[in-house]
Amino acid sequence: MAIIKLDEIKYSLKNLRNRKLRSGLSILSILIGITAIFALVSFGLGIQYYMDTIAAEAGADKLYIQPKGVGVPGLDENFYLTQNDIDFVARINGVKDITGMYFKSAELRFKDEVTYYFVIGMDTDELEFFMEGFNIDIEKGRDLKKGDLNKVVLGYNYLLEKRIFDKPLKVGDKVELNGKDFEVVGFYSEVGNPGDDAQMYLTLEAFEELHPEYVGQFGYVMLSAEKGVDPTELADKITEKLRKHRGEEEGKETFFVQSFEDIIETFGIIINVLNGVLVLIALISLIVASVNIMNTMYTAVLERTKEIGIMKAVGARNENILFIFMFESGVLGLVGGIIGVLLGYVVASIGGMVAAQAGYSLLQPAFPWYLIIGCILFAFVVGAGSGLLPAVRASKQKPVDALRYE
Amino acid sequence: MKMTGSHTNTIIELRNVWKTYTMGEVKVNALCGLDLKVRKGEFVSIMGPSGSGKSTAMNMIGALDIPSKGMILLEGQDIAKLTESDLAQIRGRKIGFIFQQFNLIPTLSALENIMLPMIFQNIPRYERMEIARKLLKMVDLGDRIYHKPTELSGGEQQRVAIARALSNDPEVVLADEPTGNLDSKTGETVIDFLKQLHKKEGKTIVMVTHDPNVARKADRTEYLLDGKIIKSLKNHTR
Repeated sequence: MAIIKLDEIKYSLKNLRNRKLRSGLSILSILIGITAIFALVSFGLGIQYYMDTIAAEAGADKLYIQPKGVGVPGLDENFYLTQNDIDFVARINGVKDITGMYFKSAELRFKDEVTYYFVIGMDTDELEFFMEGFNIDIEKGRDLKKGDLNKVVLGYNYLLEKRIFDKPLKVGDKVELNGKDFEVVGFYSEVGNPGDDAQMYLTLEAFEELHPEYVGQFGYVMLSAEKGVDPTELADKITEKLRKHRGEEEGKETFFVQSFEDIIETFGIIINVLNGVLVLIALISLIVASVNIMNTMYTAVLERTKEIGIMKAVGARNENILFIFMFESGVLGLVGGIIGVLLGYVVASIGGMVAAQAGYSLLQPAFPWYLIIGCILFAFVVGAGSGLLPAVRASKQKPVDALRYE
Repeated sequence: MKMTGSHTNTIIELRNVWKTYTMGEVKVNALCGLDLKVRKGEFVSIMGPSGSGKSTAMNMIGALDIPSKGMILLEGQDIAKLTESDLAQIRGRKIGFIFQQFNLIPTLSALENIMLPMIFQNIPRYERMEIARKLLKMVDLGDRIYHKPTELSGGEQQRVAIARALSNDPEVVLADEPTGNLDSKTGETVIDFLKQLHKKEGKTIVMVTHDPNVARKADRTEYLLDGKIIKSLKNHTR
């Protein structure tokens, strides 16, 4: 139909109002699906944005050497890289900066409270490189200095109440690390996940004093690629050379080299697959909603059979009837879509707040305009589409039969 | 458009019209070679017992249904072979229906019901309102504009239906048992309105009824039995 007629629209809306309960239930069924899809996709996009920013800020040029098998560095007692390994890697073409880190779990005591987290020993000469790689800054106090022996810098979460300790720590507090006295000199800014934000940072010297048995055994190595060098290719190159250097067999390396790009990519794939599965489930709920709308519209067609007959008797063409019924179901979808987006916005925002409370401030939803418009449009299309078959049935009614219908 | 003109003043002509319904395995002939001519400006009533094919004939004339066989000429145009969309146009522009059941749309007000046929003829809203108000006044319902059909009496509803039938200023008004659901007194007023239309507006009116007193108000009465006209009588109307 060329012209959308205001009066047909009005007539459709009037009919929707006349069956408020059924219209309401149909809208409810579609808005549940749209709410879920909107909230899920907003999180997916938020994470995508976060990863893009991280990649841009921390630089995709970073690479990490970690123990193989056990995902968490520092837990594998048998794995370490020696200073000799690090020096070897540093000489490989394309490697710019490199720094080895100690990585072990430790007991932290503050007054009567005790907790266990990772303690990192790092090279104060490479502080800037380290902070760039972890995408953090000093939040409070000062950074570590060469020669700091009984000083510790803590992750962001130690600044929060009831997160790690009951009360937030502050600069100058005295803590015990594996039974040794340390002074808190600073705090790093938020990374956005509870593991990283609970770490403790020492100078290499301090760590060696705390764990003399691990001297020279680096559990974690971070390096950067020179400009123009592909990090993934460099990772392969390092893997091969370091394997030979350490005398390990191919395929049985005790370590693996991963570029930041790979990590982000892997993380992204996992998140996207997870999100995709959830969106798929939400889509199923939309199919159910569509069946529900179809049912509502079939009932409406049946109820208004006589009206259809009357309209045809006074000159309504099949297209007029088709439009009226499709518009009605489209409106059901549209309203469901608008409410669904609003509700999805609320749900996602609350979800983001809850995630931030739990320490996952990287899990934040994003609401680009195309998501909002897309969801509403999609709901309208689902609604109108569900109404297509009932509307076709309505429009194909023979006027005589429709008029006779009681 | 095929013009099969006979008399220029013949507005409706049915030629050997058959309508066969299949009910299960049995074929039922509702119309068996019906012939009928109505001249422009004539008031014709069709009488017959139930099952005689009155309503079927009416549906054929009104382009609500198409015959199994035969020709239906409306102003010389055979409408038996038109598409549904074209039939809808003819119903909307050339024919006004008045039904026994009134057939108003319950969710619409009297005014909106009268405006409805004009919507499908793309008449602008302002004009539709004007015409609908005028027609409501004509059927003496100027004070019932915003009433819903359920808030109106049977006679009032049928008057709204008459106004609706006139909204597109059709050539032909078809009335299918217009008094069938009304008491005799209100029925009479409805018939009076039809007579006025006939006399003052010069509309061609075809009315189906089984009430001889009502049928007598027309210029001519055609008697239908078993799907055929069995006799035709001129009435002496004042």
